[in-house]
Formats: sequence, structure tokens, C-alpha cells
Amino acid sequence: MGYEALDFYEVDSLLSDEERMVRDMVRDWVDEEVIPNIENACREGVFPDEWRVALGEMGVLGAPLKGYECPGLSYTAYGVICRELERGDSGLRSFASVQGSLAMYPIWDFGSEEQKNYYLPKMASGEWIGCFGLTEPDYGSNPGDMITKAEEVGDGYILNGAKMWITNGTIADLAIVWAKLDGVIRGFIVEKNDPGFSAPEMKGKHSLKASVTSELVFQDCKIPKNRILPGVKGLRGPFSCLNNARFGISWGAVGAAQACFYSAKDYAMSRIQFDHPIASYQLVQNKLSWMLREITKAQLLAYHLGQKKDTGDWIPEHISLAKMNNVDIALEIARVARDIHGANGILDEYPVMRHMANLESVKTYEGTHDIHNLILGRHITGIQSFTRGI
Amino acid sequence: MNIAVLLKQVPDTTAKITVSNGKVDENSVNKWSMSPYDEYALESGLQMKEKTGGVLIAIACGPERNKKMLTDAAAVGADTLIHISANGIFDSIQVQNFLAAVIKKNEVDVVLCGKQAADTNSGSTGPGVAEILGAACVTMVSEVSFVENDFISVRPSVSGTEKVSTNGISVFTFDKGVSELRRPNVRGIMMAKKKVIETIKPEDLGLEEIDSQRVILQSQNSPPEKEPGQIYEGIEEIPSIISKLRNEANVI
Repeated sequence: MGYEALDFYEVDSLLSDEERMVRDMVRDWVDEEVIPNIENACREGVFPDEWRVALGEMGVLGAPLKGYECPGLSYTAYGVICRELERGDSGLRSFASVQGSLAMYPIWDFGSEEQKNYYLPKMASGEWIGCFGLTEPDYGSNPGDMITKAEEVGDGYILNGAKMWITNGTIADLAIVWAKLDGVIRGFIVEKNDPGFSAPEMKGKHSLKASVTSELVFQDCKIPKNRILPGVKGLRGPFSCLNNARFGISWGAVGAAQACFYSAKDYAMSRIQFDHPIASYQLVQNKLSWMLREITKAQLLAYHLGQKKDTGDWIPEHISLAKMNNVDIALEIARVARDIHGANGILDEYPVMRHMANLESVKTYEGTHDIHNLILGRHITGIQSFTRGI
Repeated sequence: MNIAVLLKQVPDTTAKITVSNGKVDENSVNKWSMSPYDEYALESGLQMKEKTGGVLIAIACGPERNKKMLTDAAAVGADTLIHISANGIFDSIQVQNFLAAVIKKNEVDVVLCGKQAADTNSGSTGPGVAEILGAACVTMVSEVSFVENDFISVRPSVSGTEKVSTNGISVFTFDKGVSELRRPNVRGIMMAKKKVIETIKPEDLGLEEIDSQRVILQSQNSPPEKEPGQIYEGIEEIPSIISKLRNEANVI
């Protein structure tokens, strides 16, 4: 039997025909190419290069960006793409989020015309992979205090510092690097062969194993003058990228939750204990109906946020709520799904433990769960609680 | 070259089929898809168009929902979409006449379709259309190409493969083809959205004597429930299992 997505309130019936066609295209690809190969990719700790090629051929990278050979879809369609990709694996969705929202978007929004024409077509086709360097070893939730510095020298800039937890870093052809120039955060485009730049892979992850995570190291890294993003100064630059990526995650988490629900339901219907399928027992039904409840709410949040993004009537706090809620419930659903699967739940024959381990990362990256609560707390009270004098 | 591909929308292989009052209840089908053999025909048509140039005309006959399938065909490269808006029950002869009329009107050079539809499995459309058109017909092919002035088709046979050439208007019905239908991409989907579907009603095709059904589906039944398997436990059962396999199942 093919995958039948849980859609209790028929939220997908609100999508446009085009959005539904894009959904079916990505869903079929995930069924045929991702799900049969994902466990192997995780075991080997690689992001299969065929997936990069396929994402480029399908034309989904940088989905909501218009012009410069980018897809020009709606934000809702971008959300749907993220959801279908993350039904396969969060690492796959991470690749697409980083490429589209964190690497292509800043060039598209803040880049020079020359930068847009040079980089965006190559990135939309998947020929070039991008990554995004904001987080540092000592500055995660607090990126404003970053240490990485840029200095203007003659015909270019010299970068010094290090970034950490960078998705796609080692396989990237270019990095969008945020560094302080005269104390002001600016965005720079660093290409993989620039002198003084290296991107060693971080090994030993128990999560997002099919995604490449790296450090970015800059030792007197010299880049030409035309690699600074002229259109933005300060934290607004990286934060506007993150808003788009977090929007995609709020949809993506629904996909991971749907995959766990689907597997848990299927397992509960066929697993016989005490002469009956465990799905016939009240404790299991309670778990399944709780999953259905949370997934349905998450779908409505994601859809409504998609509409707000498409009309431009949104604030970052709307995205914080959806990212935080949907990842939170997806992680809890993955845990409960693992429980329903019993001991079988720990095997890679079923997707639940992989999703569960992935979602631990998703809960933390792109603004931790707690930080999103603080963003909402500030919105409610008008009082920021990120820091205080000690 | 005008390449026509005949597409039929059938219940998806994952859809549950309900029979009520001796007929399949179409309203209970939650997902409709392009018939798999038609997908091979479409892919072959797209490849032929890429090699020889021309226009790919996708034709479907049936209710309104067929438009989605035609748009899906446009997303992978069909140029012209024609929907014969036929609501109600028509027999295979009627449908063949509708299709043939549209094919004639569009001055088609070659017609590609599946060897049979995944729902009715009757396998009559291709040969029936060929008969009406007076076209050459090769059934159960796996590939078709246009070389100089001939269509060259390959048909797997029990003893290997056969290569068949035809000239003039030809109809080919596809078994499993050599390549699966290509995946659409975003660009194709966005172009497909803008594509106009030409809708034609059967009564506007200028046909005579098409109102009466001659092939009548009397009733449909679900397959019988499979008998439950038998369970044997313990080594002492082995001789009786062997005897059953040998004497009842005749497999050893």
C-alpha cells in the first residue's frame, strides 16, 4: 500500500492545484528514491549526491524566490515541499532549507545584481551547494556577540574566526558568512577554494546522520571586494534568512510527524498481543488519537502561516510559535510512536527512531525551543528576558 | 509530426474498490491515476517528439476529473490537451469512435496508448481505434521510434524480441515500456497550469449512430475472500506437510 498522508481536516484541499501537483511530485520522489535509501545513507553518514541532482531537476530549490531562474512558487508551496521532504528525513529537508532559505535567499534579497545573476541560477539547479555560517562554538542563541571578524584590506576583505554546526559545510561550493566589519555584522560570500578557508566535517552525530554538518574555519581568508552582501547590515540579515528557514521547518516537522503516525498506526493494526491487534486496546488508541489531534492542529498552524507569508501579513513571532509548536509535537509523536512499536521501534526497519533522533536536532537548531518561548514572552510582555545584568 | 497519446484515468492501485448493487462504486474511489501502461505510451511519445519534433496531443475521454490527468501530462511535456467530456456510461465501441473522431480531426500521424486499462483490462481501445481509422496496429510493444519514413516498434515475444515496421498512420499499444514516465518539475507544472484544455462533447463530434450501447457490462463482483492459510507446528507435522505439498498442492 502506498503512503496515505494523515489529513483529518482535509487541509490539503485548501492548496492550489499547482501546490498539489508540486506536493505529489515531491511525495512520489521521496517514496521512490529517498525512503528505500535513507537508512543506508544514515549508516554511511552521507548525503547522497543523487538527491542534490534530483532536487535541482525537480526545480524545488529556493522554491519561493522569483526571477534569476528560481522556481517562483508560493511560500505555501515551499512549506509543502519541506513537509514532503521531511516525511523522508529531516536531514534531507535541512539540505533544502539551507540551500533555499539560508544561502539563496540572502543573495536574492541582499545581494548585488551581479551576485544574483552569477550565483542564483547555479544554486537553483543544484549545481552549486550553499551553506550558512552564523553560529560559532561559543555563540549559539546569542549570535550578536560573534567573534568572527572581517577587515577591509586594499582590494578585498580578510576574514578570521570559526563557525560551527554548519549544515552542508563540507560539501558546499559557497558559504554565506556573517562577520563583524568595524563592529557591524555583514554578510560575505566565501567560495570553497578561497585561500585560508576550510570546512572540516563534524563526526559522531547520533542525529541528522544523512546530513553533512561542519565547522567553517577562516585563517586570514582573503576574498574579493565584490563578495560582500551590499543590501543589509546588522542581525536583520541573518534573522530574515532564519525566518524563512523556520517557516519551512514548521511545515517539515508535520511531515516527520505524519511518517511516525503512519508507521505507528500500521504497526498497531498488525501487531498481535493477547490474541488481538494492539490497535484494539484503549491505551494504544489513546496514543493514536492524541497524535491525530496534534498533527491536525499543526497542519492548521502551518497552513495558516503559509497564507500569512504569501500575503505578507506576518510577524516573526508567528513563525516562532509554529516552529516551536510543530517541532515539539513532532518530537513527542516520534517518541510515542517508538513506544507503540515496542522493541521493534528501535530498529531501522521502521523510521520512528530515526525521526526521533533527527527531531532532537530540529528542536535545537534555528532558534531553540526555549528561545522561541522567550521571543513570544517578549511579544506578550514587552520585556526581553534573553539577558540581564548579573 | 502529430503524436496522439490516449490516456485513461483509472482508480489508483492504492484505492479501495467498493462494489455496490453489482457495480463498482466510482464515488468511493478516493484517488484516480493515469493507467500505468498509458504512462509508458506517454513517455514513448515524449521521446519521439524530442527526437523527431512535432506536437504531442494527449486525449482523454471521461468525466470532469480527467482534466487533472491531462494537466499532469502537460507537466511532463504534452503540448495539446483534449478532453472528451463523456459523463455516463459508454461502451468500448462508442469510446473508440469518439477517440477516432478526435484523432482524425487533429490529423494525427501516430497513436500511442496502453495495451489495456488497469481497471477494465479489456485491451480493446488501441485495436478498435486502429480499425476505425484504417491504421496499421501493433500491440504489446515496449518501444517505438520513427526512422526515415517508418515507425519501428519492438515487441518482446516468448523467444526474444520482434522488430516491426509500419508506415502511414499507425497505432501502437504499450506493454511495459523501456523507460518509466519521467517525473515532472516545477517549471513543467507552472507551464501546465496555464495550458488550456480543449473540451469536446461527444454529440459535437459529428458522429452518427453512437447513442446505443452494444457492449453491456452486466455486473461486477469483488474477488472471493482468500481462504486462510494453514498453520503447522512441530517436527512431527513435517511428513504431513510434505505429503500435502506433493499430493494436494502438486508443487514438489
